[in-house]
Amino acid sequence: MKGSFIMEAYKAKSIDEVIRLLSQFEGKGKVIAGGTDLIIDIRNKKVKPEALIDISSIDELKTIEDLGSFIRIGAAATFTDLVESSLLDENLYGLKKAAREVGSPQIRNRGTIGGNIANGSPAADSVPPLLCLDSTLILRSIKGEREISLRDYYEKGFKIGEDEIISAIQFKKPEGRQILSFAKLGLRKALAISRLSIATLLEIGGDNRIKTIRIASGSLGRHPLREYKVEEFLIGKDFNEEVINEAVLVLKEAMEERLKGRATLPYKQRAVERVFKDAIYGGLERLKVVEA
Amino acid sequence: MKKISLNVNGKDHILEVEEDMRLIDLLREKLGLTGVKEGCSEGECGACTVIMDGEVVNSCLVMAFQAEGSSILTIEGLGDEENIHPIQQAFIDVGAVQCGYCTPGMILAAKALLDKNPNPTEEEIREAISGNLCRCTGYNKIVQAIDRAKEVLR
Repeated sequence: MKGSFIMEAYKAKSIDEVIRLLSQFEGKGKVIAGGTDLIIDIRNKKVKPEALIDISSIDELKTIEDLGSFIRIGAAATFTDLVESSLLDENLYGLKKAAREVGSPQIRNRGTIGGNIANGSPAADSVPPLLCLDSTLILRSIKGEREISLRDYYEKGFKIGEDEIISAIQFKKPEGRQILSFAKLGLRKALAISRLSIATLLEIGGDNRIKTIRIASGSLGRHPLREYKVEEFLIGKDFNEEVINEAVLVLKEAMEERLKGRATLPYKQRAVERVFKDAIYGGLERLKVVEA
Repeated sequence: MKKISLNVNGKDHILEVEEDMRLIDLLREKLGLTGVKEGCSEGECGACTVIMDGEVVNSCLVMAFQAEGSSILTIEGLGDEENIHPIQQAFIDVGAVQCGYCTPGMILAAKALLDKNPNPTEEEIREAISGNLCRCTGYNKIVQAIDRAKEVLR
């Protein structure tokens, strides 16, 4: 690539090697995994790293682990790895569905869950389901390990240090009849950047009341975010069509506040109803399959 | 410069590559494998598709140094005029090639699919080539060609 600033390139074999190099380059080193966003940014001179540190073949960063009540996904696990993982069936199907709808086979084979987060795209498909799961990011640097909540990363603007790497994403498994779901609107079937996406974690109690509800959206703000107002509206209510229709109105109001003046707002406000309902009812359909 | 070793189309290579070189540039410029086409340069069109360790990737979105230790298959390694691969033959027989620019990527996407799933449905075929754009054929002939190739290969 003519005119790039890259002087050095390392194919790292362990996390320790990565964090040592990051520290050594003092902010001028950049971690590359799938490269599906980063290589385009380098070509367009949006980022100008002096050194590239490849993490795409570090096994300890690619494993998807069952830790009992938690699941831990290595940051360099690809979307294909997520799609093929048997740990993400059943109640976690919304995360798998989001991974399956990313880009194209070529992009899913390279693109990673850590990259989806680190690049901070408002349209990152895997993030709304992870927000619904109250996920934690595990960061590593030569100073050690620290954890930050994914919500704080987005909502409080917590930064990943120049000497840090996301090593894993961890979340608690859904309990009981909680079901994670995902729906997205793209302009075509493959390779479509999400126009908007919704993930939900829903549980309806034996009394038909909404026992658990977490909702996260993509492309409805500067970054993926939790829709707390809609959650507050729904929690404890009797689950029926009328209540879901009212929740759509609450969601539209929240969007209005955030996206006022944007040309895409009227379109997104119309489209969001269907996407939200697809997530909610699609999840309940899935629950029937899981429980069958 | 950085020294890397990799296997391309069954042959081992040790090559000096620039740190900022992409895999597509290595394949086209260092090895002369011009069946790897550059279209959009951003992972949308799939013309630069190659099979890397059994999986399709866009070679414009992989750095050359990242391919250290990997095995790459390009269209040149699949078959040629004397030794044509059944998927290539099916593309010819059905008329799935028009301008030809997307064809190497399409055939490799088909190869990766059929290696994993020898009997795909039409929907699975369309999904497998969803990262490869064709502006000539309207895709139906390509889908038919892959469907025919699967019968021959089975």
